Amino acid sequence: MATVSLRQVRKSYDAQEVVHGVDLEVADQEFVVLVGPSGCGKSTLLRMIAGLEDISGGEIAIGERVVNEIDPKDRDVAMVFQDYALYPHLTVFQNIAFSLQYRGVGKAEIARRVAEAAAILDIESLLERKPRQLSGGQRQRVAMGRAIVREPKVFLFDEPLSNLDAKLRVQMRTEIKKLRERVRTTAIYVTHDQVEAMTLADRIVLMHNGRVEQIGTPEDVYDEPATLFVAGFVGASAMNLVAGRIETGAQGCGVNLGGESRLALPPGRYDAHVGMSVTVGLRPEHLHWAGDSAASMLAGAARVVEPLGSDTLVIFDVAGHELQARLPPRVVRRGGDPVRVAIAPESIHIFDPATERRL
Amino acid sequence: MSGHGGWWGRRRNRQLALIVCFLLPSLIVFFLYRLLPLGWNVILSFQAWSPLKPAVWIGLEHYAEMWTYDDTFWIALKNTLIFIAASPLAIAAALGVALLVNSDLKGATVYRTIVFLSYPLMAVAVGIIWRWMYDERGGIINFALRSSGLIAKPIGFLQDFSWALPSVIVAEVWQMIGFYMIILLTGLQSIPQNLYEAARIDGAPAVARFFRITLPMLRPSLFLCVVVGILNSFSSFDLVYIMTNGGPGHATELLITHIYKSAFEQTKFDYAAALTVVQFALLLLLTVAANKGAGGNAGAVERD
Ligand SMILES: Nc1ncnc2c1ncn2[C@@H]1O[C@H](COP(=O)(O)OP(=O)(O)OP(=O)(O)O)[C@@H](O)[C@H]1O
Ligand SMILES: [Mg+2]
Repeated sequence: MATVSLRQVRKSYDAQEVVHGVDLEVADQEFVVLVGPSGCGKSTLLRMIAGLEDISGGEIAIGERVVNEIDPKDRDVAMVFQDYALYPHLTVFQNIAFSLQYRGVGKAEIARRVAEAAAILDIESLLERKPRQLSGGQRQRVAMGRAIVREPKVFLFDEPLSNLDAKLRVQMRTEIKKLRERVRTTAIYVTHDQVEAMTLADRIVLMHNGRVEQIGTPEDVYDEPATLFVAGFVGASAMNLVAGRIETGAQGCGVNLGGESRLALPPGRYDAHVGMSVTVGLRPEHLHWAGDSAASMLAGAARVVEPLGSDTLVIFDVAGHELQARLPPRVVRRGGDPVRVAIAPESIHIFDPATERRL
Repeated sequence: MSGHGGWWGRRRNRQLALIVCFLLPSLIVFFLYRLLPLGWNVILSFQAWSPLKPAVWIGLEHYAEMWTYDDTFWIALKNTLIFIAASPLAIAAALGVALLVNSDLKGATVYRTIVFLSYPLMAVAVGIIWRWMYDERGGIINFALRSSGLIAKPIGFLQDFSWALPSVIVAEVWQMIGFYMIILLTGLQSIPQNLYEAARIDGAPAVARFFRITLPMLRPSLFLCVVVGILNSFSSFDLVYIMTNGGPGHATELLITHIYKSAFEQTKFDYAAALTVVQFALLLLLTVAANKGAGGNAGAVERD
């Protein structure tokens, strides 16, 4: 049971700073996911928490204790590595028992705890095998087992599912979620897969170029992305980002995307920004088919139509922009068909192109 | 025959033919220079034969002579085994060096190169260098020992009965350490780094990390070194020949120098053949045992 606090944590390799002052408070029993593109510093941050990398600046505390100078083994954290880091010459049992042997746990107690972990992870029949005799998914479970027998204060996961094929990944994701219900421990989980982040996290930390872009629940980061980067990163299909201008007219405040295309904005909200050039974010799944009469809508012609079964992804042109919309099946059938879509004013995201932040 | 029938039509057979084509030259050489002489050598060991007389079948007579009358054979056998027994020490020393060079020690690559440099040197050159260093009057070792006051009288390292064998072994070890180090270093570097990280988080102290991760993961490399060490002990003819030629007396006689002397100094080719068979059998036995010890894959790397 522990909280984890990061205060202005920095990391430099030689002169190159790769993590630029990260602040984060992880509550007790919270499952926090660090997500961001490759090279943004997620692993580096995680490894600093584990004690595998020196901390160049700032402070990391686990519970009440600042751990900057404390050895990994005394931090009471357990880590699951991307490639599992199982000891190849030891059996599954010995792999799982390894850490307990160095913590003064008795033989009988070790056997009991390994059996318990194996039961939770459903790997009881594999205990006598060597890692090379296991499938990827089974190794993954053993790696988890090695972490949970420890009963540590904090779990650290570094992309534990990225070496599995797509189907197994989804399955293991669910397993981790179930496991989480049984073993309620503070956890920090690194991934570059936003779906994994959305499905697992209590809170998501979005990182970009060594900085935190936004911290929030999955709903927060989806509903109100704080920056253009977050807007583009979160969501099953990428958000449409187009240039526009805020203007006010007879129908109230709206945003003009060029030509005749104008979308109404929530009344009053952007009054201070009238006349400003902005970046407009429209999620494909929020664009819906509009009747002929709708005043606030986008009209264009379909370029590509991709039926996905439950819905259809339509790529269409409006006022020189290429947009995507997820529409019900069979509304638009083929390229060249007319497209008429509208969006609820409160679903429109407006960003300042200069600061890239949400208005 | 139909279009895709026939011997040549089968893909497997075509591949087989290709493989044979590539292997054939080396197989021919192997047969002519390895198997054929070995076979003839075995036959010769059961015969009485000298270059100008016809061969006579005498069964195990040479072996009986070796067993009962040839004291030099027993000395040479003992010395060869001592030579072999020294290689684990060399391997342990090489492991120490490899561990140092593998750490983030400053200038590690320079040390690595320096240590390895001894290996490609010709054994003859190594023999001459060490003979010169061991020299009783002008040798640098005697000079160093005397000027530091450790000894009063110079030691005849290669002339003294009790010093000669250890001195030759030191030269041999010196040359082999570079080779062992490179093998062990390669082994060390193929151990995934995150195993050590996992072990650190798991709480295993440095000593335990060495014994529970490094050593077991290095086992194939270690046994490869052992096998090479054994082979080398049987064949370090040149070094011994240059440094002591088996002397003083038979103090540094190895099986290989004994074979050489029997054949080319005493022209007892038939007896030398019998000695060779014994040496070969011993070599085969030890190598198979060492490879067994490595789990049948000396030199390979265990992966998960
Ligand atoms: N040992 C190192 N020396 C120098 N630079 C490093 C080192 N390790 C990482 N970096 C740099 O630090 C940055 C962050 O790396 P990090 O491994 O944390 O990325 P990541 O977010 O985990 O990416 P990925 O999703 O690819 O794993 C990268 O730009 C990387 O090049
Ligand atoms: Mg990473």
